[in-house]
Amino acid sequence: MSAVTVDQLNDGGRQSAEDQARAAELKRLERRDGWRRRIPILPALIYTILVTQIPFLFTLFYSLTDWRIDTPDPRQFIWFENYGSLSGDTFFLDSAWVSVQMTVMAVLGSLIVGTGLAILLDRKFFGQGFVRTLLITPFLVMPVVAGLMWKLQMFNSTFGIIGWVMNQLGLEPVEFATRFPLASVVVVLIWQWSPFMMLIVLAGLQGQDQSVLEAARVDGATSWGTFRQITLPQLRPFLELGTLLGAIYLIQVYDHIEVIVGGQPGARNLPFYIAGRSIGGGNRFGLSSAYSIVVVLASIIIANIGLRVLSNLLEDDS
Amino acid sequence: MAEVVLERVNKIYPNGYHAIHDLDLDIKDGEFLVLVGPSGCGKSTALRMVAGLEEISGGEMRIGPTLVNDVHPKDRDIAMVFQNYALYPHMTVADNIGFALKLAKIPKAEIEERVGKAAAILDLTEQLPKKPGQLSGGQRQRVAMGRAIVRQPKAFLMDEPLSNLDAKLRVQMRAEIAALQRDLGVTTIYVTHDQVEAMTMGDRVCVLKRGFLQQVDTPQNLYDSPDNVFVAGFIGSPSMNLMRLTLGGTADNMSVEIEGQTLKIDPQVAQAKPALAGFLGREVVVGIRPEDMEDAEIATDAPGDRKLRTHCTLIEALGSELIVHFPLAVESFSIMDAEFEGEDAVEQAKDEQGRTIYVGRFSPRSRARIGSELEVVVDTARFHFFDPESGNAIRG
Repeated sequence: MSAVTVDQLNDGGRQSAEDQARAAELKRLERRDGWRRRIPILPALIYTILVTQIPFLFTLFYSLTDWRIDTPDPRQFIWFENYGSLSGDTFFLDSAWVSVQMTVMAVLGSLIVGTGLAILLDRKFFGQGFVRTLLITPFLVMPVVAGLMWKLQMFNSTFGIIGWVMNQLGLEPVEFATRFPLASVVVVLIWQWSPFMMLIVLAGLQGQDQSVLEAARVDGATSWGTFRQITLPQLRPFLELGTLLGAIYLIQVYDHIEVIVGGQPGARNLPFYIAGRSIGGGNRFGLSSAYSIVVVLASIIIANIGLRVLSNLLEDDS
Repeated sequence: MAEVVLERVNKIYPNGYHAIHDLDLDIKDGEFLVLVGPSGCGKSTALRMVAGLEEISGGEMRIGPTLVNDVHPKDRDIAMVFQNYALYPHMTVADNIGFALKLAKIPKAEIEERVGKAAAILDLTEQLPKKPGQLSGGQRQRVAMGRAIVRQPKAFLMDEPLSNLDAKLRVQMRAEIAALQRDLGVTTIYVTHDQVEAMTMGDRVCVLKRGFLQQVDTPQNLYDSPDNVFVAGFIGSPSMNLMRLTLGGTADNMSVEIEGQTLKIDPQVAQAKPALAGFLGREVVVGIRPEDMEDAEIATDAPGDRKLRTHCTLIEALGSELIVHFPLAVESFSIMDAEFEGEDAVEQAKDEQGRTIYVGRFSPRSRARIGSELEVVVDTARFHFFDPESGNAIRG
C-alpha cells in the first residue's frame, strides 16, 4: 500500500514540475505575443511622449523656480512658492471664472443650436446634402479667420452687419466686442461649434429605430411628446459625448479672444491669461508654469469624472 | 372593440409605386384576420394604413363607425405589435407596458393595476423592473404584447410579431397569442408570410399578391377550394403540384395524359365542375395536393387508370409521413415570377433530363427508396382545375 502511495507522490511531484514548465512556457508565449501587439504602436507612443510629456516635465521643473527672462538674476529654485501665490492672484481667479462661464455657455449654446439643426436636417427634403454641407462649413473655418470675420463684418459698429441692421431699425449701433466682450466671444464659439454638435446629434437621430417612434405614435404620443419622452432619452449618450468633447476643446480657446477682444479683462480666460503672464510680455515663466500645472491637473480631474460618467451611461444603455 | 372596414382602399407611394389596389375587407368585431402573402405583396402596407402610419391614397377606411382616413394614429385607438417589438429601450418593462396609459393621463394607481394584470397574463411580473436589453427574445415579444393588451383598444394590429423568434418558441407563442385573442375578443389583424401561422391562427385568412386581394376565407376553405392558382400554390406545405396538362377524353369520361400514361378523371369531378367541359382538348392547370398521392404498394385497391409510373429522386422522412420527390415530363405552372417576386420566385426543381420534380406525401409505411422505381396512385377525385390564361379556378 505504502509503496503505491510513494509512487503516486513521486508521480505527483513529476507532474507538478511538468505543469510548472508548461505554465512558464505559456507565460513566455503570452509575453512574446504582448510585445508583438505593442511594437506597432510604439513609434506613436514615443512621439507622443516626446512632444507632450517631456515639455510637461520641463514645465513642472520651471514651476518650482522663479525664472523670468527680463532680469539678469540667475534662476533660483524656490519650491512651491509660485503655487502659494496662486490663491492671492485675483487676475488668475477672474480668468478661471471667465473660463468656466465661457466653456459652459459655449458648450450649452452650441449643443442647443446643434440639436435644433440636427432635428431640422433629420428628414428627407430636396437639397438635403447641400444644406448639410453648408451648415458644417463654420466648423471648417480657421478660428482666427472666424474671429476676424465676426469682429469686422458683424460686430463692428461702423461696417458691421449687426450695426447696419440696428441702424435700419432706428437704433443706435453698439460696439459689441467692446461693450459685451464675453458674450461676443461666446456667440462666435457657438457659431463655430454648433455644426460639430449637429453632426453628433444627427448620428444619434439617424441611428434611432424608426419603429420605436412609430410605436410611440400608435401609443398616443404627440410629436413633442415623442421627442421628449422617446428621442431625447435615446440621444443622451450622444449629448454627453458632445458635451465632453466640446468642453475639452472650448476650455483651451485662445485665438478667438485674441482676435475679437484682444484680452479685455471681461473675456480673458485661463489660457489667455497664462500666455500673457509668460510669452505674451509678462515674462514670468516660473509663475506661469505653476499656473499651467494647476490648470492641467484640474482639467485632467474634470475630464476623468466626465469620462467615467459617460461610460457608465453607455454601459447602462447596452 | 370594433369592426374594421376597408372599401376600395389604394396606396400609391410618391414615387408612383402602386402598393395596394382596390382592397375591400370587412373585418368583423372580435375577428382574427390574417393577412398573408409573399414579400412585397402589400400586407404590411395594408396593416400600416389601418394603423395610420401610412396615408391612404384612395378609398375609405372605418374603425367602428368612424371614418379614419385622416385620423392621426394616436386618435385611432388601436394597438400595434411590431416585428422587432419596438420597445422603448430606456424604459423599464413596466413603463413600456404602461406608456400608452400614462399618455392617456390615467391615474397612477390604475396604471399600476392594469400593468400588473397584463404582466400576470403574460407571465412577466418578475421582469417588470428590468429594461428591454436584459430580456430574452421571447420575453421582449411578451412585453410588446403587454403593451398592446393593457390598452383595451378597438383593434390589435400585429406585423409579423413572431418572425424574430426561434422555431420552438414561435409555435408556443402562436398558440398563446391565438388563445389570448379569443379570451380578450379584440378585433385583430395579423400580418405574416408564414402560412402555417396564417392557417392555424386566423378565423379568416386574406391572401394578397402584388397589392391585389386574391381570396379571403376560412383557412379550410382556402385550402380546399382556392379561387385561383396563386392561392392554390401559396397555401399548403409542401405546395400543391401544378401541372400544365391537356384535358382529353369526352365530357363524361375526361382524362389527362402524363408521360404517355392516362389518368382517368373521376366522373364526380366533371359533374361538380360543369365548366370543365368547355376546356376539353385544351390546356388546363391541374392542381394535385401532395397528400392526394400515395405509394401504389400501400393503396392496393386503386384502379389501374389512377396510377403513374416514375422513380423516386428524394425522400424526406418526417416520421409521421414521407415527402417523396419524383420527376415527370410535364411542364409545371409557376405562381411566382422572378421579375416581381425576386428571391421568392423559386424555380421548380428539375432532374437532369429536364423533367419537373413533383412531390407526394406518402404513408411512413411506404417502402419507396431513393433511386428506386415508384408507382404513384393519384386521387383524381380531388383534382383542382385552373384556367391557364386567367389563373382562376374552373368550377361552376
